[in-house]
Amino acid sequence: MKTKILVANRGEIAIRIIRTIQELNYEAVAVYESPDKDSSHIRIADEAVWIGDGPRSDYLNIDKIIDAAIHSGAVAIHPGYGFLAENPDFARACEEAGLIFIGPSSEVIEKLGNKVMARKIMAEAGIPMVPGTNNLKPGDDGLAEAVAFGKKYEYPIMLKATSGGGGRGIRRIESESELAEQYTIARSEAMAAFNDDSVYLEKVVVKPKHVEVQIIADKTGKTIHLGTRDCSIQRRNQKLIEIAPAFQLSPELSEKICLTAIQAAQAADYFNAGTVEFLLDKDNSFYFMEINTRLQVEHTVTEMITGIDIVRTQIKLAMGKELLFGQEHVQLRGHAIEMRINAEDPQNNFMPEGGKTITVYHSPGGYGVRLDGFCYQGFTIPEAYDSLLVKLTVFGWSWNETVDRLKRCLHNFVITGPKTTIPFYLNLTNHPDFKKGQFDTSFLDENEQLFEYDEQASEVNKLARLIAEIHQKKQNTYAA
Amino acid sequence: MIRITEKMTPRAVLDTLRRADGYYITNTARDMSQSDYKNRILLHTDLMAAEAREEAGYFSLEITGGASIHVDILRKQVDPFLKLKLLREQMPDTMFQTLCRGVNLFGYRPYPQNVIRLTVREFAKYVDVWRTFDFMNHVPNMEAVFEEVAKAGKINEPCICFSTGPEHTDAFYVKKVREILDVTGTEIILCIKNHGGLGTPKRIGELVNAIKQAYPELIIHYHGHNTDGNDIGRIQAAVLNGATIVDASDHSFTGFYGPPPVLTVIQTLKDYGKTAIGINEEAVIRSSDVIRDQRQYYGQFEAQIKGFMPTVQIHKLPGGAMGSSLEQASKGGFLDKMPDILHKELPKVQKELGNWWSVTPGSQILWTTAVANVLEGERYGNPSGDLKNLLLGKYGPFPFYQPADWIYEKAFGPDWKIVLERDGGVEVIDDIDIDKERETLTSKLAKEPTEQQLVIYLQHPNDAVNFFKFEEKFGQSYVLPPSIFLRQGGFHLGETMVFRDHNGKEHLIEIGPSQEDEDGRTNVYLNVDHYQRTYIIEPEVREGTTCQATLSKDEIVKLAKTGDIRAPFGGNVYDISVETGQDVTAGDQVAILEAMKMQTPVISEVTGKVVDIATEIGQALKPGDKILLIEPMEDD
Repeated sequence: MKTKILVANRGEIAIRIIRTIQELNYEAVAVYESPDKDSSHIRIADEAVWIGDGPRSDYLNIDKIIDAAIHSGAVAIHPGYGFLAENPDFARACEEAGLIFIGPSSEVIEKLGNKVMARKIMAEAGIPMVPGTNNLKPGDDGLAEAVAFGKKYEYPIMLKATSGGGGRGIRRIESESELAEQYTIARSEAMAAFNDDSVYLEKVVVKPKHVEVQIIADKTGKTIHLGTRDCSIQRRNQKLIEIAPAFQLSPELSEKICLTAIQAAQAADYFNAGTVEFLLDKDNSFYFMEINTRLQVEHTVTEMITGIDIVRTQIKLAMGKELLFGQEHVQLRGHAIEMRINAEDPQNNFMPEGGKTITVYHSPGGYGVRLDGFCYQGFTIPEAYDSLLVKLTVFGWSWNETVDRLKRCLHNFVITGPKTTIPFYLNLTNHPDFKKGQFDTSFLDENEQLFEYDEQASEVNKLARLIAEIHQKKQNTYAA
Repeated sequence: MIRITEKMTPRAVLDTLRRADGYYITNTARDMSQSDYKNRILLHTDLMAAEAREEAGYFSLEITGGASIHVDILRKQVDPFLKLKLLREQMPDTMFQTLCRGVNLFGYRPYPQNVIRLTVREFAKYVDVWRTFDFMNHVPNMEAVFEEVAKAGKINEPCICFSTGPEHTDAFYVKKVREILDVTGTEIILCIKNHGGLGTPKRIGELVNAIKQAYPELIIHYHGHNTDGNDIGRIQAAVLNGATIVDASDHSFTGFYGPPPVLTVIQTLKDYGKTAIGINEEAVIRSSDVIRDQRQYYGQFEAQIKGFMPTVQIHKLPGGAMGSSLEQASKGGFLDKMPDILHKELPKVQKELGNWWSVTPGSQILWTTAVANVLEGERYGNPSGDLKNLLLGKYGPFPFYQPADWIYEKAFGPDWKIVLERDGGVEVIDDIDIDKERETLTSKLAKEPTEQQLVIYLQHPNDAVNFFKFEEKFGQSYVLPPSIFLRQGGFHLGETMVFRDHNGKEHLIEIGPSQEDEDGRTNVYLNVDHYQRTYIIEPEVREGTTCQATLSKDEIVKLAKTGDIRAPFGGNVYDISVETGQDVTAGDQVAILEAMKMQTPVISEVTGKVVDIATEIGQALKPGDKILLIEPMEDD
């Protein structure tokens, strides 16, 4: 019997992992909740296990997933991203059930998942940190601590929930009076959202770039990096576009950041694939943000420029293999850009378009184009999950070539039914600063014109609509 | 012997005309479109012909005015200003001419003076020759237009409307010409507007001669219609007696009720030694050839009755109204009654109402009254609002005689003399607050309108707003040829069409399959420039209507007797005369419906209280749609 690996995820990332599992000549076991019954990750998998009506609750149900793995005879579980991917209890449950968890140990996930603990480890290892506090003391003492911090580093400062993450539980404070106001609210919200009201403060790096490093470590402690990624283009701290390598970094700075990332990973006894995130200030100083103990959505750009299948490496390392290549074998070539094509309406605050049926789905192809998606014509997007439809990743030798290719692909993409982020991305690829590679995390906020487009605006589209009406109504009712 | 061009000053144009050894021709493309194709000839076709028409060397191209501005926005979905702008690009040398109905501008009812002036000012930016008329030949009704045209430095072409009968003598018309010249001065062109194509060649020759005898320097432009097939004869007589300009149009599109063919005019007059000045015959032929194969797509708009109609000499309906009248008869199911209406009732009504000129809006009053008289049995039983206004002299004084007392009594009851005394006289329309109208339009469009949009809006507010919305949604659809824009029965699967958009970019659209979803929406798949796209067409809900089932005429009458007032025929709500909660008495007017340019009052059959108004001003109603509900008073 073939080795089986269960993929504890859905959508495009489940498919991406299943593909590698099958390439390794293993069998992939998918799991799904009822709203996902038409999802193509089920069809591509060798087996699929229904785990409940969900939505979401069953993908988050550790017992059900472990049961599914045991009953299907899987030996390992790949958690993908989101859901249980960074849940130490899940990693631990796998370990206890004798299943291989494809990722770092529960212990590593636990200590890096706790922001304060992670900062402590990194500070001790000499990794540069954004100046910040430990967990603030409860009540008024904590507020006094906060006020003092604000005075020392000047506003703005960030008030963060210790258990938050992924952009949640973060608020920016512009003044001392605002701090007093937000302090209590932040605590009660953190309590409600994460069942933990601890909060801490950080200096705000104004208009930073978001630069991260893909690292891989085997069980012997051998740790290498696969270069940088720039994820500065975000909306409300959620990444939309990722670029590898981080553009316009000097080789020296790039090298320095990558080596710091390796140092950080080793300080945490990191194993398997992970991502070390930094904020890069305009003066080229950079600060540790966090280590993501999972496969990232944007891992595809790194794969494009290195030629290394990160998921394949993850599985091999988890199965106990050692890294067969060293840092000197890793070559970064060209540029890659990934855009998350979401079923969202950018003009309406990125409102999700779930529940809509895709009536036409035509994807681009050709040299340097990679698609990681799960949709098809006739597919109704479940409302219960995130709105990512497909990741478009393009590769090119030069930056300009890559942007040109990206633009071509966006033009060639036809998705009708739901509104998507495609027209917004088209605007973005035409923006002179984007073409020059000049952008930081404030890019969307400072360029409202990116949201000015009209999907039906092109003259031919308007006329085609009229022709469609003349056709369907068997006469031009506007001329009758 | 020089060609007149748009670059010349009005004075130079008039001087050239006075010295002309020969005659000039106006291509009345607009009138041909209106008379023979219900005004539906698309800008696309006019643009196809533009180059050859420019080269043909006409005195002018009559391409706007009349009902065309309304139809441009209502049925052709083209901006009447954009149309002129685009044609001007293709035709830099040809003067553009309009037909203006004086106080009624391009509509059917008098406009306020400030609206008239603003409208003329905007259109005068594109229009060189202003042919202006009044259906009562009441000169004061045209004065505001004359003034604005002169101010804009364009050419005034006032009309004397022509008809036949014992009152229509040379002396009468010469006197009319003097009335006009007293207002305009002599730097004008005088139009003899023979909109019915009435009279014999001999009669027209005499009239032109009489005017020329009185005013030898006056330039005369003869305008006729070929309804009886003999307009060439009248043109010939006009030119031989001194007319300098005549009207005709492209032979490949000539029909029965509009202008005769240009080429026939040229050939006929050549034999009399009269030269068509500036005309390139080869280009005249070519302009017909380039649009000939477009005619098939307009067949659906040609009149229900075809063939020349020499009986026009009896019924006198103008060519421009033939199409719409016959259409109404066809839709109303009384085509069979046409001989009675046209040959018996209409001439009778004409005489009864004063034997003035059957042209907009008078022709509609005559026609509607004649139709009502025949169909409803009782003559003048339910006089329209316009007929009442006419009888009250609101459109101008009767030129020959006032209708008989019994007609007044039918219209206004036994106290008609008091009504006439109280309400009679030319209606003065107060100026409107144009800034306020601009604000209203701004809020309707959610953006500041252009001056031209405002002008269009002031002509026909509801239709203008609908048109602006159409433009917003469908873009500049004039780029579509009639084979697409006027397509009947849908396209074939796989049919491809190629066209250039407003920006000059070429596109290819291929028709794909259509499929209906469970909610009744249709997904129409099109390949647009090689990309597959879906267009979702919502199930048909007739916009602006409030009733589902169609009621019979009897049912509508029965409901009216209970206070449930329904639209007796299809039309637009022109006015609602009452408010919710108001007491009404049987016989009170509660609303006015407008159809076929005519206003018809809706009368309450019961006495009671208005409890609900189900419609609003401007709404399009089908027969049987709810207008309002009156709770009848309980009998004690």
